[in-house]
Amino acid sequence: MRNLLNFLLKYNNLIVFLILEGIAFYLLANGNHYHNSRIVNGFQGITRGVNERISNTKTYLSLREINSDLAAQNSSLRDTLRALKQEQSIGFTDVTDTVAGQKYKYTPARVINNSVNRQKNYFTIDKGTRQGIQPDMAVICGNSAAGMIVGCSENFSVAISMLNLDFRLSARLKSNGYFGSLTWDGKNYRYALLNEIPQHIALNVGDTIETTAYSAIFPEGIPIGTVDEYKKSGSDFYVIKVALFTDFKKLNYVDVIADLQRDERLGLENRFK
Amino acid sequence: MINSALRLILSGILLILFQILILNNIQFSGYVNPYVYIMIIMMIPSLTPAWLLLIAAFSAGLVIDLFSGSPGMHAGATVLAAFSRPFVLRLIAPRDGYESGSDLSLAVYGLRWFFIYASAIVLIHHTALFFLEVFRFEGFFRTILRILVSSAFTLGFILLLEYYRKGK
Repeated sequence: MRNLLNFLLKYNNLIVFLILEGIAFYLLANGNHYHNSRIVNGFQGITRGVNERISNTKTYLSLREINSDLAAQNSSLRDTLRALKQEQSIGFTDVTDTVAGQKYKYTPARVINNSVNRQKNYFTIDKGTRQGIQPDMAVICGNSAAGMIVGCSENFSVAISMLNLDFRLSARLKSNGYFGSLTWDGKNYRYALLNEIPQHIALNVGDTIETTAYSAIFPEGIPIGTVDEYKKSGSDFYVIKVALFTDFKKLNYVDVIADLQRDERLGLENRFK
Repeated sequence: MINSALRLILSGILLILFQILILNNIQFSGYVNPYVYIMIIMMIPSLTPAWLLLIAAFSAGLVIDLFSGSPGMHAGATVLAAFSRPFVLRLIAPRDGYESGSDLSLAVYGLRWFFIYASAIVLIHHTALFFLEVFRFEGFFRTILRILVSSAFTLGFILLLEYYRKGK
Protein backbone atom coordinates (compact mmCIF):
# COMPACT_ATOMS: atom_id res chain seq x y z
CA MET A 1 0.00 0.00 0.00
CA ARG A 2 2.81 2.34 1.00
CA ASN A 3 4.71 1.43 -2.11
CA LEU A 4 1.63 2.06 -4.18
CA LEU A 5 1.17 5.51 -2.62
CA ASN A 6 4.83 6.31 -3.20
CA PHE A 7 4.46 5.20 -6.77
CA LEU A 8 1.38 7.37 -7.27
CA LEU A 9 3.13 10.37 -5.69
CA LYS A 10 6.22 9.91 -7.78
CA TYR A 11 4.38 9.60 -11.07
CA ASN A 12 1.34 11.77 -10.33
CA ASN A 13 2.06 14.12 -13.23
CA LEU A 14 2.38 11.26 -15.65
CA ILE A 15 -0.87 9.78 -14.34
CA VAL A 16 -2.76 13.08 -14.66
CA PHE A 17 -1.30 13.42 -18.15
CA LEU A 18 -2.41 9.94 -19.18
CA ILE A 19 -5.90 10.40 -17.74
CA LEU A 20 -6.41 13.71 -19.53
CA GLU A 21 -5.07 12.32 -22.82
CA GLY A 22 -7.36 9.34 -22.36
CA ILE A 23 -10.36 11.66 -22.00
CA ALA A 24 -9.23 13.63 -25.05
CA PHE A 25 -8.94 10.47 -27.14
CA TYR A 26 -12.29 9.23 -25.93
CA LEU A 27 -13.88 12.53 -27.00
CA LEU A 28 -11.99 12.43 -30.28
CA ALA A 29 -13.14 8.92 -31.09
CA ASN A 30 -16.74 9.49 -30.06
CA GLY A 31 -17.37 13.07 -31.10
CA ASN A 32 -15.94 13.06 -34.62
CA HIS A 33 -17.42 10.85 -37.32
CA TYR A 34 -14.22 10.86 -39.30
CA HIS A 35 -11.96 9.78 -36.44
CA ASN A 36 -14.49 7.25 -35.26
CA SER A 37 -14.70 5.58 -38.65
CA ARG A 38 -10.91 5.60 -39.03
CA ILE A 39 -10.53 3.83 -35.68
CA VAL A 40 -13.35 1.35 -36.30
CA ASN A 41 -12.00 0.58 -39.78
CA GLY A 42 -8.55 0.00 -38.34
CA PHE A 43 -9.89 -2.55 -35.88
CA GLN A 44 -12.04 -4.19 -38.53
CA GLY A 45 -9.03 -4.54 -40.80
CA ILE A 46 -7.34 -6.57 -38.07
CA THR A 47 -10.35 -8.73 -37.20
CA ARG A 48 -11.20 -9.35 -40.85
CA GLY A 49 -7.75 -10.80 -41.44
CA VAL A 50 -8.14 -13.07 -38.43
CA ASN A 51 -11.66 -14.06 -39.46
CA GLU A 52 -10.47 -15.02 -42.91
CA ARG A 53 -7.69 -17.15 -41.50
CA ILE A 54 -10.06 -18.93 -39.10
CA SER A 55 -12.52 -19.69 -41.85
CA ASN A 56 -9.72 -20.94 -44.10
CA THR A 57 -8.74 -23.44 -41.45
CA LYS A 58 -12.34 -24.44 -40.86
CA THR A 59 -12.85 -25.03 -44.58
CA TYR A 60 -9.78 -27.17 -44.72
CA LEU A 61 -10.96 -29.30 -41.81
CA SER A 62 -14.38 -29.91 -43.36
CA LEU A 63 -13.13 -30.71 -46.85
CA ARG A 64 -14.24 -34.33 -46.60
CA GLU A 65 -17.81 -33.33 -45.85
CA ILE A 66 -17.85 -30.71 -48.60
CA ASN A 67 -16.51 -33.29 -51.00
CA SER A 68 -19.30 -35.72 -50.28
CA ASP A 69 -21.87 -32.91 -50.53
CA LEU A 70 -20.50 -31.97 -53.92
CA ALA A 71 -20.52 -35.58 -55.05
CA ALA A 72 -24.17 -35.89 -54.02
CA GLN A 73 -25.03 -32.68 -55.82
CA ASN A 74 -23.14 -33.85 -58.89
CA SER A 75 -25.04 -37.06 -59.05
CA SER A 76 -28.40 -35.36 -58.63
CA LEU A 77 -27.48 -32.92 -61.40
CA ARG A 78 -26.48 -35.82 -63.58
CA ASP A 79 -29.85 -37.39 -62.84
CA THR A 80 -31.63 -34.23 -63.92
CA LEU A 81 -29.53 -34.01 -67.03
CA ARG A 82 -30.38 -37.59 -67.91
CA ALA A 83 -34.06 -36.91 -67.38
CA LEU A 84 -33.95 -33.80 -69.55
CA LYS A 85 -32.10 -35.63 -72.31
CA GLN A 86 -34.71 -38.33 -72.18
CA GLU A 87 -37.46 -35.77 -72.57
CA GLN A 88 -35.69 -34.30 -75.53
CA SER A 89 -35.21 -37.58 -77.23
CA ILE A 90 -38.89 -38.36 -76.85
CA GLY A 91 -39.73 -35.56 -79.20
CA PHE A 92 -39.18 -32.10 -77.83
CA THR A 93 -36.90 -29.86 -79.82
CA ASP A 94 -34.44 -27.43 -78.37
CA VAL A 95 -35.51 -23.81 -78.90
CA THR A 96 -33.25 -20.92 -78.05
CA ASP A 97 -35.43 -18.39 -76.28
CA THR A 98 -34.11 -15.08 -77.57
CA VAL A 99 -36.96 -13.00 -76.14
CA ALA A 100 -36.67 -13.81 -72.45
CA GLY A 101 -32.94 -14.38 -72.21
CA GLN A 102 -31.37 -15.53 -69.00
CA LYS A 103 -33.38 -14.73 -65.89
CA TYR A 104 -31.11 -15.74 -63.01
CA LYS A 105 -27.38 -15.65 -62.65
CA TYR A 106 -25.54 -17.69 -60.00
CA THR A 107 -22.29 -16.64 -58.37
CA PRO A 108 -20.50 -19.02 -55.99
CA ALA A 109 -19.07 -17.50 -52.83
CA ARG A 110 -17.55 -18.55 -49.54
CA VAL A 111 -18.84 -17.61 -46.11
CA ILE A 112 -16.01 -16.03 -44.10
CA ASN A 113 -17.92 -14.90 -41.03
CA ASN A 114 -21.12 -16.25 -39.58
CA SER A 115 -23.10 -16.50 -36.38
CA VAL A 116 -26.18 -18.41 -35.24
CA ASN A 117 -26.36 -17.51 -31.57
CA ARG A 118 -27.53 -13.89 -31.73
CA GLN A 119 -31.03 -12.57 -32.23
CA LYS A 120 -29.96 -10.73 -35.37
CA ASN A 121 -27.55 -12.92 -37.24
CA TYR A 122 -25.64 -11.84 -40.32
CA PHE A 123 -22.97 -13.57 -42.34
CA THR A 124 -20.17 -12.21 -44.52
CA ILE A 125 -19.18 -13.63 -47.90
CA ASP A 126 -15.97 -13.10 -49.84
CA LYS A 127 -17.49 -11.54 -52.95
CA GLY A 128 -18.54 -7.93 -53.42
CA THR A 129 -19.50 -5.31 -55.97
CA ARG A 130 -16.38 -6.09 -57.97
CA GLN A 131 -17.75 -9.57 -58.59
CA GLY A 132 -21.21 -8.22 -59.42
CA ILE A 133 -22.87 -8.71 -56.04
CA GLN A 134 -25.54 -6.12 -55.16
CA PRO A 135 -27.87 -5.68 -52.18
CA ASP A 136 -31.21 -7.54 -52.39
CA MET A 137 -29.80 -10.63 -54.03
CA ALA A 138 -30.76 -14.06 -52.72
CA VAL A 139 -28.24 -16.37 -51.07
CA ILE A 140 -28.73 -20.14 -51.20
CA CYS A 141 -26.68 -22.93 -49.73
CA GLY A 142 -26.63 -26.11 -51.75
CA ASN A 143 -30.16 -25.87 -53.02
CA SER A 144 -31.92 -24.29 -50.05
CA ALA A 145 -32.55 -20.71 -49.04
CA ALA A 146 -30.03 -19.14 -46.65
CA GLY A 147 -30.37 -15.35 -46.67
CA MET A 148 -30.31 -12.11 -48.54
CA ILE A 149 -27.51 -9.64 -49.35
CA VAL A 150 -27.94 -6.38 -47.43
CA GLY A 151 -24.65 -4.57 -47.96
CA CYS A 152 -21.60 -4.76 -50.19
CA SER A 153 -18.11 -3.38 -50.24
CA GLU A 154 -15.72 -3.92 -53.13
CA ASN A 155 -14.68 -7.42 -52.15
CA PHE A 156 -17.06 -8.45 -49.40
CA SER A 157 -20.79 -8.58 -48.83
CA VAL A 158 -22.89 -8.92 -45.73
CA ALA A 159 -26.05 -10.99 -45.91
CA ILE A 160 -28.91 -11.05 -43.45
CA SER A 161 -29.27 -14.65 -42.32
CA MET A 162 -32.66 -16.36 -42.16
CA LEU A 163 -31.84 -16.55 -38.46
CA ASN A 164 -32.56 -12.85 -37.94
CA LEU A 165 -35.60 -11.38 -36.25
CA ASP A 166 -35.85 -8.82 -39.06
CA PHE A 167 -35.84 -11.42 -41.82
CA ARG A 168 -39.12 -11.89 -43.73
CA LEU A 169 -39.55 -14.25 -46.65
CA SER A 170 -42.59 -15.07 -48.69
CA ALA A 171 -42.92 -18.87 -48.62
CA ARG A 172 -45.53 -21.40 -49.71
CA LEU A 173 -46.53 -25.01 -49.30
CA LYS A 174 -45.27 -26.99 -52.23
CA SER A 175 -48.26 -29.31 -52.22
CA ASN A 176 -51.06 -26.79 -52.63
CA GLY A 177 -49.45 -23.40 -53.24
CA TYR A 178 -50.88 -21.56 -50.20
CA PHE A 179 -48.39 -18.89 -49.21
CA GLY A 180 -47.50 -17.14 -45.98
CA SER A 181 -44.59 -15.30 -44.48
CA LEU A 182 -41.61 -17.02 -42.95
CA THR A 183 -39.92 -15.54 -39.89
CA TRP A 184 -37.54 -16.66 -37.19
CA ASP A 185 -38.50 -16.57 -33.51
CA GLY A 186 -34.94 -16.29 -32.23
CA LYS A 187 -35.03 -19.60 -30.36
CA ASN A 188 -33.51 -22.48 -32.30
CA TYR A 189 -31.23 -22.21 -35.30
CA ARG A 190 -32.76 -25.31 -36.90
CA TYR A 191 -36.36 -24.04 -37.01
CA ALA A 192 -38.30 -21.08 -38.43
CA LEU A 193 -41.98 -20.14 -38.29
CA LEU A 194 -44.44 -19.93 -41.17
CA ASN A 195 -47.45 -17.72 -40.49
CA GLU A 196 -50.60 -16.70 -42.32
CA ILE A 197 -51.53 -20.12 -43.69
CA PRO A 198 -55.34 -20.33 -43.29
CA GLN A 199 -56.70 -23.11 -41.09
CA HIS A 200 -59.11 -24.61 -43.59
CA ILE A 201 -56.45 -26.28 -45.67
CA ALA A 202 -55.07 -29.75 -45.00
CA LEU A 203 -51.55 -29.84 -43.63
CA ASN A 204 -49.19 -32.75 -43.01
CA VAL A 205 -45.99 -33.06 -41.09
CA GLY A 206 -43.21 -33.38 -43.64
CA ASP A 207 -44.77 -31.12 -46.27
CA THR A 208 -42.13 -29.13 -48.14
CA ILE A 209 -42.00 -25.35 -47.84
CA GLU A 210 -40.48 -23.43 -50.74
CA THR A 211 -39.99 -19.83 -51.85
CA THR A 212 -42.42 -17.86 -53.99
CA ALA A 213 -41.42 -15.33 -56.62
CA TYR A 214 -43.41 -12.54 -54.95
CA SER A 215 -40.43 -10.86 -53.34
CA ALA A 216 -38.46 -10.39 -56.59
CA ILE A 217 -35.45 -11.62 -54.66
CA PHE A 218 -35.64 -15.39 -54.53
CA PRO A 219 -36.51 -17.42 -57.61
CA GLU A 220 -39.64 -19.48 -57.32
CA GLY A 221 -39.46 -22.96 -55.82
CA ILE A 222 -36.23 -22.84 -53.83
CA PRO A 223 -36.76 -25.35 -50.96
CA ILE A 224 -36.70 -23.89 -47.45
CA GLY A 225 -37.63 -26.73 -45.12
CA THR A 226 -40.32 -29.16 -44.07
CA VAL A 227 -43.29 -28.84 -41.72
CA ASP A 228 -42.11 -30.11 -38.36
CA GLU A 229 -45.23 -29.44 -36.34
CA TYR A 230 -48.23 -27.15 -36.59
CA LYS A 231 -50.66 -25.58 -34.15
CA LYS A 232 -53.97 -23.87 -34.57
CA SER A 233 -53.59 -20.49 -32.96
CA GLY A 234 -56.45 -18.35 -31.68
CA SER A 235 -56.81 -16.55 -35.00
CA ASP A 236 -57.71 -18.13 -38.31
CA PHE A 237 -54.16 -19.10 -39.12
CA TYR A 238 -51.83 -21.98 -38.40
CA VAL A 239 -48.55 -21.45 -36.62
CA ILE A 240 -46.24 -23.80 -38.48
CA LYS A 241 -42.81 -24.80 -37.21
CA VAL A 242 -40.54 -25.36 -40.17
CA ALA A 243 -37.40 -27.52 -39.94
CA LEU A 244 -34.89 -25.69 -42.13
CA PHE A 245 -32.92 -27.55 -44.78
CA THR A 246 -29.94 -25.23 -44.42
CA ASP A 247 -27.68 -25.98 -41.48
CA PHE A 248 -26.46 -22.51 -40.57
CA LYS A 249 -23.83 -23.88 -38.22
CA LYS A 250 -21.84 -25.24 -41.14
CA LEU A 251 -22.62 -22.63 -43.75
CA ASN A 252 -19.59 -22.63 -46.00
CA TYR A 253 -20.07 -22.51 -49.73
CA VAL A 254 -23.09 -20.54 -50.92
CA ASP A 255 -24.47 -19.29 -54.21
CA VAL A 256 -25.67 -15.74 -54.74
CA ILE A 257 -28.58 -15.45 -57.14
CA ALA A 258 -28.99 -12.29 -59.19
CA ASP A 259 -32.38 -11.68 -60.75
CA LEU A 260 -31.43 -10.11 -64.07
CA GLN A 261 -34.95 -8.88 -64.73
CA ARG A 262 -35.55 -7.45 -61.28
CA ASP A 263 -35.20 -3.78 -62.23
CA GLU A 264 -37.58 -4.19 -65.14
CA ARG A 265 -40.15 -5.90 -62.96
CA LEU A 266 -39.95 -3.45 -60.06
CA GLY A 267 -40.05 -0.52 -62.47
CA LEU A 268 -43.27 -1.81 -63.93
CA GLU A 269 -44.78 -2.62 -60.53
CA ASN A 270 -43.92 0.79 -59.13
CA ARG A 271 -45.99 2.47 -61.80
CA PHE A 272 -49.14 0.97 -60.30
CA LYS A 273 -48.47 1.77 -56.66
CA MET B 1 -0.62 36.72 -5.63
CA ILE B 2 -4.36 36.53 -6.05
CA ASN B 3 -4.22 39.57 -8.21
CA SER B 4 -1.69 38.01 -10.59
CA ALA B 5 -3.72 34.75 -10.75
CA LEU B 6 -6.80 36.79 -11.62
CA ARG B 7 -4.91 38.63 -14.33
CA LEU B 8 -3.67 35.32 -15.72
CA ILE B 9 -7.19 33.91 -15.91
CA LEU B 10 -8.48 37.11 -17.50
CA SER B 11 -5.77 37.11 -20.18
CA GLY B 12 -6.49 33.39 -20.77
CA ILE B 13 -10.14 34.20 -21.44
CA LEU B 14 -9.15 37.07 -23.73
CA LEU B 15 -6.81 34.77 -25.67
CA ILE B 16 -9.52 32.15 -26.09
CA LEU B 17 -12.01 34.78 -27.28
CA PHE B 18 -9.39 36.11 -29.72
CA GLN B 19 -8.88 32.58 -31.01
CA ILE B 20 -12.57 31.71 -31.37
CA LEU B 21 -13.86 35.02 -32.68
CA ILE B 22 -11.07 36.03 -35.02
CA LEU B 23 -8.38 33.44 -35.73
CA ASN B 24 -10.77 30.51 -36.21
CA ASN B 25 -12.42 32.47 -39.02
CA ILE B 26 -9.23 33.03 -40.94
CA GLN B 27 -9.12 30.76 -43.97
CA PHE B 28 -5.90 31.31 -45.82
CA SER B 29 -5.04 28.78 -48.58
CA GLY B 30 -5.76 25.83 -46.31
CA TYR B 31 -2.28 25.85 -44.80
CA VAL B 32 -2.40 28.68 -42.31
CA ASN B 33 -4.32 28.10 -39.09
CA PRO B 34 -2.63 30.05 -36.30
CA TYR B 35 -3.51 28.84 -32.81
CA VAL B 36 -2.39 31.65 -30.57
CA TYR B 37 -4.42 30.53 -27.55
CA ILE B 38 -1.60 28.15 -26.53
CA MET B 39 0.12 31.23 -25.13
CA ILE B 40 -1.91 30.35 -22.04
CA ILE B 41 0.33 27.34 -21.50
CA MET B 42 3.45 29.48 -21.83
CA MET B 43 2.24 32.31 -19.59
CA ILE B 44 1.58 30.19 -16.52
CA PRO B 45 4.45 31.03 -14.09
CA SER B 46 7.36 28.66 -13.57
CA LEU B 47 7.18 26.12 -10.74
CA THR B 48 3.41 25.88 -10.95
CA PRO B 49 2.49 22.28 -10.00
CA ALA B 50 2.47 20.19 -13.16
CA TRP B 51 -0.99 18.77 -12.53
CA LEU B 52 -2.47 22.28 -12.32
CA LEU B 53 -0.77 23.15 -15.60
CA LEU B 54 -2.14 19.99 -17.23
CA ILE B 55 -5.68 20.67 -16.07
CA ALA B 56 -5.53 24.31 -17.16
CA ALA B 57 -4.26 23.24 -20.58
CA PHE B 58 -6.94 20.59 -20.87
CA SER B 59 -9.71 23.06 -20.00
CA ALA B 60 -8.43 25.62 -22.49
CA GLY B 61 -8.21 22.98 -25.24
CA LEU B 62 -11.67 21.70 -24.41
CA VAL B 63 -13.21 25.18 -24.65
CA ILE B 64 -11.60 25.71 -28.05
CA ASP B 65 -12.84 22.25 -29.08
CA LEU B 66 -16.39 23.07 -28.07
CA PHE B 67 -16.39 26.19 -30.19
CA SER B 68 -14.73 24.66 -33.24
CA GLY B 69 -16.74 21.42 -33.18
CA SER B 70 -13.82 19.04 -32.86
CA PRO B 71 -14.12 17.36 -29.44
CA GLY B 72 -10.84 16.06 -28.06
CA MET B 73 -8.55 17.36 -30.78
CA HIS B 74 -7.27 20.57 -29.17
CA ALA B 75 -7.54 19.11 -25.68
CA GLY B 76 -5.23 16.23 -26.63
CA ALA B 77 -2.67 18.57 -28.22
CA THR B 78 -2.65 21.15 -25.42
CA VAL B 79 -2.28 18.49 -22.72
CA LEU B 80 0.72 17.06 -24.58
CA ALA B 81 2.25 20.54 -24.89
CA ALA B 82 1.67 21.24 -21.18
CA PHE B 83 3.16 17.87 -20.24
CA SER B 84 6.32 18.59 -22.21
CA ARG B 85 6.69 22.15 -20.87
CA PRO B 86 8.81 21.19 -17.79
CA PHE B 87 11.15 19.17 -20.01
CA VAL B 88 11.52 22.07 -22.44
CA LEU B 89 12.17 24.48 -19.56
CA ARG B 90 14.83 22.19 -18.12
CA LEU B 91 16.56 21.89 -21.49
CA ILE B 92 16.82 25.61 -22.09
CA ALA B 93 17.31 26.75 -18.48
CA PRO B 94 19.37 29.95 -18.16
CA ARG B 95 22.66 29.67 -16.26
CA ASP B 96 21.26 30.75 -12.90
CA GLY B 97 17.97 28.82 -13.20
CA TYR B 98 14.43 30.11 -12.93
CA GLU B 99 13.16 32.36 -10.21
CA SER B 100 10.36 30.72 -8.29
CA GLY B 101 7.00 31.83 -9.63
CA SER B 102 8.59 34.14 -12.18
CA ASP B 103 6.76 35.23 -15.29
CA LEU B 104 8.10 33.15 -18.19
CA SER B 105 8.09 36.07 -20.57
CA LEU B 106 10.21 37.87 -23.10
CA ALA B 107 10.51 40.80 -20.71
CA VAL B 108 12.18 38.68 -18.02
CA TYR B 109 14.34 36.20 -19.93
CA GLY B 110 15.07 37.97 -23.23
CA LEU B 111 14.15 37.49 -26.85
CA ARG B 112 16.51 34.60 -27.66
CA TRP B 113 15.36 32.48 -24.75
CA PHE B 114 11.69 33.24 -25.30
CA PHE B 115 11.92 32.50 -29.02
CA ILE B 116 13.36 29.02 -28.40
CA TYR B 117 10.86 28.36 -25.61
CA ALA B 118 7.84 29.44 -27.67
CA SER B 119 8.91 27.61 -30.83
CA ALA B 120 9.40 24.36 -28.94
CA ILE B 121 5.94 24.52 -27.32
CA VAL B 122 4.24 25.68 -30.55
CA LEU B 123 5.90 22.94 -32.61
CA ILE B 124 4.93 20.21 -30.14
CA HIS B 125 1.36 21.48 -29.96
CA HIS B 126 0.93 21.93 -33.72
CA THR B 127 2.48 18.57 -34.57
CA ALA B 128 0.09 16.79 -32.20
CA LEU B 129 -2.88 18.87 -33.34
CA PHE B 130 -2.44 18.50 -37.10
CA PHE B 131 -1.73 14.80 -36.93
CA LEU B 132 -4.77 14.31 -34.71
CA GLU B 133 -6.78 16.27 -37.25
CA VAL B 134 -5.80 14.26 -40.34
CA PHE B 135 -5.44 11.05 -38.30
CA ARG B 136 -3.40 9.25 -40.92
CA PHE B 137 0.17 9.11 -42.17
CA GLU B 138 -0.67 9.31 -45.84
CA GLY B 139 0.25 12.74 -47.16
CA PHE B 140 2.86 12.95 -44.39
CA PHE B 141 4.85 15.80 -45.94
CA ARG B 142 1.77 17.86 -46.68
CA THR B 143 0.88 17.64 -42.99
CA ILE B 144 4.45 18.59 -42.05
CA LEU B 145 4.23 21.61 -44.33
CA ARG B 146 0.95 22.69 -42.74
CA ILE B 147 2.53 22.30 -39.29
CA LEU B 148 5.54 24.43 -40.19
CA VAL B 149 3.61 27.21 -41.91
CA SER B 150 0.98 27.44 -39.16
CA SER B 151 3.68 27.33 -36.46
CA ALA B 152 5.45 30.28 -38.08
CA PHE B 153 2.25 32.32 -38.08
CA THR B 154 1.37 31.34 -34.50
CA LEU B 155 4.88 32.24 -33.40
CA GLY B 156 4.63 35.62 -35.13
CA PHE B 157 1.39 36.42 -33.32
CA ILE B 158 2.81 35.29 -29.99
CA LEU B 159 5.92 37.45 -30.35
CA LEU B 160 3.75 40.46 -31.22
CA LEU B 161 1.62 39.87 -28.12
CA GLU B 162 4.74 39.43 -25.98
CA TYR B 163 6.17 42.77 -27.15
CA TYR B 164 2.79 44.32 -26.36
CA ARG B 165 2.95 42.82 -22.85
CA LYS B 166 6.51 44.05 -22.43
CA GLY B 167 5.60 47.54 -23.51
CA LYS B 168 2.81 47.84 -20.99
